[in-house]
Amino acid sequence: MKDDALNRVKYDALVIGSGISGMESALKLGDMGYKVLVVEKEASVGGKMILLSKVFPTLDCASCISTPKMGATIHHPNLTVLTYAEVETIERQDGGFRARIKQKPRFVVETACTGCRQCEMVCKVAVPDEFNADLVSRRAAHIAFPQAVPKKAVIERQGTSRCTFNCPAGIKAHGYVALVRSGEYEKAFQLVADATPLVGSLGRACYAPCESECSRGNLEGPLSIRRLKRFVADMHYAKPRVAPETPPANGMKVAVVGSGPAGLTAAWHLARKGYEVKIFEAAPQPGGMMRLALPPYRLPIEVVEQDIANVTDIGVTIQTNSRIEDLEALKAQGFSAVLVAIGTHLGAKLRVPGEDLQGIVRATEFLRAAKLGERLEVAGKRVVVIGGGNVAIDAARTAMRLHAGSVEVLSLESLKEMPAHPWEIAEAKAEGVTFRHSCGVRDFEGDERVRSINLLRCISVLDEKGRFNPKYSDKRAGTVEGDLVVVAAGMRPDSGEFGLPINPSGTFQVDKGTLQTCIPDVFAAGDAVAGPTMITSAAGEGRRAAFMIDRWLHGQAMDVEEFERRLEMVDKEAVLARQSTYRELPAGAPREAVKLAPGEFYPDEETMTEVEALDAAARCLDCGVCSECNSCVDICPAHAIDLKMQEQEIEAEVGTVLLATGYTLFPADLKPQYGYGKFKNVITGMQMDRLLAPTRPYNAVVRPGDGKVPDSIAFILCTGSRDETLGNPMCSRICCMYSIKHNQLIMGALPLADVTVYYMDVRTPSKGYNEFYEQAKGMGANFVKGRVASISEKDNGNLLLRYEDIENGTVTETEHDMVVLAVGVRPNDEAARLFPGNDLRLDEFGWVGESNEDVNPGATNISGVFVAGAASGVKDIPDSILHAGGAAAQAAAYLERHGRPATDAAALAEKLAAEPANGGAPAASTTETGPASATGSSTAKAAGVAR
Amino acid sequence: MTTANREIREIVRDEHIMRNRILRLLEGRPSTIPEIAEGLGAPPSEVTYWVMGMRKYGYVREEKEVTDEGYYRYQAIEREIG
Ligand SMILES: Cc1cc2nc3c(=O)[nH]c(=O)nc-3n(C[C@H](O)[C@H](O)[C@H](O)COP(=O)(O)OP(=O)(O)OC[C@H]3O[C@@H](n4cnc5c(N)ncnc54)[C@H](O)[C@@H]3O)c2cc1C
Ligand code: SF4
Ligand code: SF4
Ligand code: SF4
Repeated sequence: MKDDALNRVKYDALVIGSGISGMESALKLGDMGYKVLVVEKEASVGGKMILLSKVFPTLDCASCISTPKMGATIHHPNLTVLTYAEVETIERQDGGFRARIKQKPRFVVETACTGCRQCEMVCKVAVPDEFNADLVSRRAAHIAFPQAVPKKAVIERQGTSRCTFNCPAGIKAHGYVALVRSGEYEKAFQLVADATPLVGSLGRACYAPCESECSRGNLEGPLSIRRLKRFVADMHYAKPRVAPETPPANGMKVAVVGSGPAGLTAAWHLARKGYEVKIFEAAPQPGGMMRLALPPYRLPIEVVEQDIANVTDIGVTIQTNSRIEDLEALKAQGFSAVLVAIGTHLGAKLRVPGEDLQGIVRATEFLRAAKLGERLEVAGKRVVVIGGGNVAIDAARTAMRLHAGSVEVLSLESLKEMPAHPWEIAEAKAEGVTFRHSCGVRDFEGDERVRSINLLRCISVLDEKGRFNPKYSDKRAGTVEGDLVVVAAGMRPDSGEFGLPINPSGTFQVDKGTLQTCIPDVFAAGDAVAGPTMITSAAGEGRRAAFMIDRWLHGQAMDVEEFERRLEMVDKEAVLARQSTYRELPAGAPREAVKLAPGEFYPDEETMTEVEALDAAARCLDCGVCSECNSCVDICPAHAIDLKMQEQEIEAEVGTVLLATGYTLFPADLKPQYGYGKFKNVITGMQMDRLLAPTRPYNAVVRPGDGKVPDSIAFILCTGSRDETLGNPMCSRICCMYSIKHNQLIMGALPLADVTVYYMDVRTPSKGYNEFYEQAKGMGANFVKGRVASISEKDNGNLLLRYEDIENGTVTETEHDMVVLAVGVRPNDEAARLFPGNDLRLDEFGWVGESNEDVNPGATNISGVFVAGAASGVKDIPDSILHAGGAAAQAAAYLERHGRPATDAAALAEKLAAEPANGGAPAASTTETGPASATGSSTAKAAGVAR
Repeated sequence: MTTANREIREIVRDEHIMRNRILRLLEGRPSTIPEIAEGLGAPPSEVTYWVMGMRKYGYVREEKEVTDEGYYRYQAIEREIG
């Protein structure tokens, strides 16, 4: 982010983390009159406590006691809370600190979102729900959990999915794949049509650059993204055509010259914006190369016609046999702007002797004549095609189908260097086309008609700079006999008559970003600008031209950045690293070399069946997470979703810092003998808390393995704690107590279930804890002093525990329906990373170190930096609150001793409000409360930011 | 019970594709997770993910009574938004 875009703010205190400790410290400081900035990386405040069922030993409902604090934190007039934001670095500065904060985009305008969850309900991407300890799915669009504060949706986007990023037409490829996966074929069609009306044509003939970049390509092969488009196009066109709604006219007329992909796509977008659009086409049929060049076995005429009907259905008129060369005359007809999209229809010459003999034709003319059904004398002839690109292959295969006696392709390039796609070459070979490589034409021989071609050996095609500049050896490389020669040696636009500046290649000179020519109301797009490309590129440039023409005609800036704005492409390695194993899902049958009899013009591949399409779509890895399918955008009643939102940087100057980053849970799979992750009915303590919470992921306490209500549940205490082998010799303090809580709650919820606890020690150190333990025993929980050595799984999902019974000195095996691992806790190493140069001292176990725990709790080795709650070592809720209150007092005392910075808390709200990229938060409301700030600055509530 | 272990991310990714298949199985016949698993030929642990996801997003609901074997039956429900 540019420095001038940085939001600079000043606060008395920065609190990092908004679990129970962070909230407590912030509230205490706020109540004392300090201005506090709270930064939370999740989308809601509340930390781990809000996810718990009940709290020990009172069995109070965790949500009921958390939510008032969460609300108070958000609404406190002295607190500004940034959720979904991360502190990146903290540096010392002038007696205080400077923190760099990244506000991640939610892609939802917070002030507009009402929390209705409709976006979630329609979202097409499912991922594991971390707020439910991965027991169920959530959506890319989600509200973190039902009691989230702020209760605002977030859309998880990790970048632009690779297929979407690489689509030149701007089609949300991942989006339509996700819609197919959900069985929403018509919506998938419409999503493609949002970019271009050429859904059917691209479904058949697109060269699919998306597929070359697909992440699944690194596994068994890329998704058949193009064929999925063909599938949705065929589904759509099989239904009766419905007259589309025509948009209200805006009173302006635009002329488009040329009806190829660029012209048609531009016309489509302009017409959808209310312009009256007329296309002038020189040829007798509309469609450009799609209609005049692409062989029908790759792109049937009916498909092109269906796509063109999309455009004419919304009111665009196409006048064929109308060659335009006089732009002024067009303007005189009342067109406010003209788009020139005439493609490249002149075949390049070889400039060798004999080129004007009869029987030598350009590929464009040959293909056009074949496509328009003109009589071509090919049957029985020896056809020679000159060129190494896809056009040459198309010409060769077309000649084969017109009953040529033989077809030989001569290319300058070696087989490996040929620009034609390898599968096209393979298909041509399978049909009987022969190839001769590394040769160029010296001259043509014949009387009136061509008879033979004398060849030169080509030694290199490109020069050192990669430009086309073939070099030949002096020696002749033989002679080829031929009756018909088709030259496919490049194409250029017929751009001479327009009076517009052109490049040496004949293409029009335009501003690359806006496509405007030197005449302001004349734009040019497609191959006529770029030289020969492909349908999807031309369509994309047509879309760009429409966007710019609309801006221009409305007197608005032609904002290239806005047209091109999108998230960066998600990294392939990062996508693949999300899973360590993948089930093998083979790509659809590999392209089989088709063997069509000469003269047969039928499509060379079938449309997928519905089952094939679903299987193909199911292979998608959801690279960017959100697929940009737009389902949420379309349904959101508040119009709150903005998928183009940007990240923001904030720089905060603060007097003191409180670290309330809490702890992490021990990853249970580090004890492989317990089978977590392998045996489905082995879960962790946190998962059991979720199963018991009022907002639980399932309808009841049932086994994840098969949904059975468990009859017999085992708990294994000290999983990952007091375990030197795992480098954690400490007691985690909370696992005994939370397990006892689970025992009591389970015996309440499932009165018939047996509960067994395997323990080495039960530690019940605080007030009322031992009584709570005795109560559980009294209710029937069976406590077995024993060390569980291993767990194995039976066919029915039950678990066999092998353990050493310490009291009897025997090794015993028992069977349970379900096992709960009372996992311990670990330090969260994020706090230390905030201080460059590792200035923050950690204790020997990795927790944030307190300089003197006995007499100076909360103070770290950095003067002015304090630690609150479990970030300094594991604590239960009451101890965390107590510690956080102490840390707040320490911070307040520090501020009083060292002086407070001049705070300007209102500024952040105002700055973020002015920046629509963050969702246009409204102007901050200002409320004076509490003791006047020492510096007399106004206090502020960052409405819209602090929710 | 099969212990074919797919990663959770991969299992939940299939929820959308499995949803219509599961809804078809449930037409007029509320079923337990093992019954659905048998109908789909999929591991019950994976079906739990799909059914619970569908429950969360309003496609199925559980019946009140548990079967003698200790399973809930899930039935399809009409959803208001598509
Ligand atoms: C043989 C061949 C095969 C191809 N195969 C593929 C493929 O499989 N996949 C793929 O992605 N791409 C393919 N391409 C490339 C693709 O067709 C082009 O990239 C694309 O059509 C360019 O679109 P466009 O709108 O810029 O130009 P065009 O499609 O050429 O459209 C321009 C239109 O303007 C008309 N016109 C020209 N001058 C005038 C004038 N003065 N007044 C009025 N009208 C005029 C032309 O008649 C034409 O209809 C192929 C090209 C060829 C030649
Ligand atoms: S649909 Fe819109 S208003 Fe409703 S939760 Fe989603 S973003 Fe918010
Ligand atoms: S665009 Fe589609 S995938 Fe992305 S959040 Fe919205 S509904 Fe979900
Ligand atoms: S895996 Fe899916 S989202 Fe990723 S590039 Fe392939 S089709 Fe696109």
